[in-house]
Amino acid sequence: MKAIVVENLKKYYGKVKAVDGISFEVEWGELFALLGPNGAGKSTTIRVLTTLASPTSGRAFVAGYDVVKEERKVRKKIGLVSDKLILYDRLTVLENVFFFSKLYGLSDKEIYERAERLLKMLDMWEWKNMRVSKLSTGMKQKVNLVRALVPKPDILFLDEPTLGLDPHTTRKIRDFIKELHQEGVTIILTTHILHEVELLATKVAIINKGKIVAMDTPKSLKNLFKEKEIVQIEYEGDLKIPSGVKILESAEGYLKVEVESLEKFLHDVTGQSVRIINVKSFEPSLEDIFVKLTGGEAA
Amino acid sequence: MNALRIAWKDLKFLLRSRTMLVMSLLMPILMMLMMGYIFPKDYSDTSVKMGFYSEDPLFSLVAIPKMAKSGKVVVYKSRKEMLDALAKGQIAAAVVVPKGFMQNYTKGNATLEVIPSPSNPQAAIMISKMAASFMGREGKSEEKKVKVKLVGVGGEDFSYYQFMAPGMMAMIAIMSVASGLAASITRERELGTLDGLMVTPISRSSIVVGKILAQTVRGVVQALIVLGTSMLLFGVRVHGNILETLLLLILSTFSFIGIGIIITAGIKEQETAQLTMMTITFPMMFFSGVFFPIDQMPKIAQYISKIFPLTYAADALRKNVVIGSSIDLMTFDITVLLLFALLTSVLATIMFPKLVKE
Repeated sequence: MKAIVVENLKKYYGKVKAVDGISFEVEWGELFALLGPNGAGKSTTIRVLTTLASPTSGRAFVAGYDVVKEERKVRKKIGLVSDKLILYDRLTVLENVFFFSKLYGLSDKEIYERAERLLKMLDMWEWKNMRVSKLSTGMKQKVNLVRALVPKPDILFLDEPTLGLDPHTTRKIRDFIKELHQEGVTIILTTHILHEVELLATKVAIINKGKIVAMDTPKSLKNLFKEKEIVQIEYEGDLKIPSGVKILESAEGYLKVEVESLEKFLHDVTGQSVRIINVKSFEPSLEDIFVKLTGGEAA
Repeated sequence: MNALRIAWKDLKFLLRSRTMLVMSLLMPILMMLMMGYIFPKDYSDTSVKMGFYSEDPLFSLVAIPKMAKSGKVVVYKSRKEMLDALAKGQIAAAVVVPKGFMQNYTKGNATLEVIPSPSNPQAAIMISKMAASFMGREGKSEEKKVKVKLVGVGGEDFSYYQFMAPGMMAMIAIMSVASGLAASITRERELGTLDGLMVTPISRSSIVVGKILAQTVRGVVQALIVLGTSMLLFGVRVHGNILETLLLLILSTFSFIGIGIIITAGIKEQETAQLTMMTITFPMMFFSGVFFPIDQMPKIAQYISKIFPLTYAADALRKNVVIGSSIDLMTFDITVLLLFALLTSVLATIMFPKLVKE
């Protein structure tokens, strides 16, 4: 049995085809990313899979259960985190965690222990008795994650979990997601940030205008995206230009080049007795990828 | 110029929400219709009857037999019988002839006590004037000798507020539920916490029942505050069993919640939900007899009044608080309220998951 099976799923809102016939499968323990621009249908897909929306047609199974006919069994297996916080802001951190976890039938002791572990992992334990309304956006999202995780979901849905967060919190949350994945939680992640997918996902589906346009491991998709990469480097000293590099611009202590592999280039450069002041690499933007994948239809 | 920009933006904002627009247009129309319909065309209702109960044996012997023949007066053998008739709406005012009335009458300082009908004190006040003249004619044509004193059931001075308080309690309970639901359901939906509840494996009905319980408590507490302040500040007295008052209040609040849940669950924005609730509760306030007596309204308005649970709640509470009637005189009100409550709650439970699911 797979963690998730989606068969030709469609969800229309009136004339708007939010999801227009997508199919994919997610293995247990996988960290599956749905990558796409805003309005691509990522969140709608999540809403159908978490039983919050009914599909217009097609079928979907979560943990082996039909999302339409066996809603309640699906709900027992899942946790949801989205950019809309599922927290009551007049309740404290622990009150929120307890309220939601109790609905899954966990004992107080169990909840407390798990909450303590998870909140500590995210440096939030000291805030446990603070009202949620008093917390910053980043802290709220951390609590939101804990709220979803204390009931031990087998499958965790993360709908743009780092949206609008500062870099530090984003990093903390990404590390946390990685750890959860290593602990064996199956994770479905939606994002519009390519970098996030590269860092976290074991498999990625690129979704645009309600359709999946590519699906593979991030590595193979990455190769598809970036055949070449552009690097801008500022340095002091005598730099020997490595082989396989195309020079785009050059000046005293400055170089802009096109390389096959950023990793190889950096290795070659740092091996020399040159002081590097600044390095910038230009990844193909999501738009570039979409242009590539959708044949000119930028998102 | 910028003020105009802001004004135009605000109007555009209103125009873009269809529900808001419809409600905003409907509201004034409803208001005017209501105002046009609830006020009576004329007050000359000739069908009203007065109840008489005499504590003075002499009066019973001399005057009662003649009065009973007039057709405008119903004579009761006991005070309770008369009060029950008042509660049932069979008489518009209950006249008590106190002991020694005849004796005082000859001395020229006789007083009649009149208890107005709780559902229509205005009419009762007018009729009570008639009582005096009536007595005059029945007696020895010395009209000015009989004074009429408006009293409550306990013999205390009549207070208009006493008659209004029970209806106001029910009204405030229901209004608080209406606004509470708009806040609790639509707001939760707007914020996203409703999603959080909907993805948990609990039964949908426990969400609905939970909301019903919380709102009932809220409504009842607010109603009790109304009762408390009216008792402390305005001398309102509860003549019925206070436990029954409480039960009636709970039932009144409960009767509206199902409808409230169905409406708020179907609406996505809090502002629209609140406006919709207001469009319902506002006419309810006028049609349910809390401020304006229903039997003075034109027939159409009287029919409309029957669709609001508040009408029955206010009626039952008035009987309980003002007259102190026993619960068996409220069987109809209670049955209707229970039906409202149960049917709409069941319907809400069935519809809720469908309404909130996309």
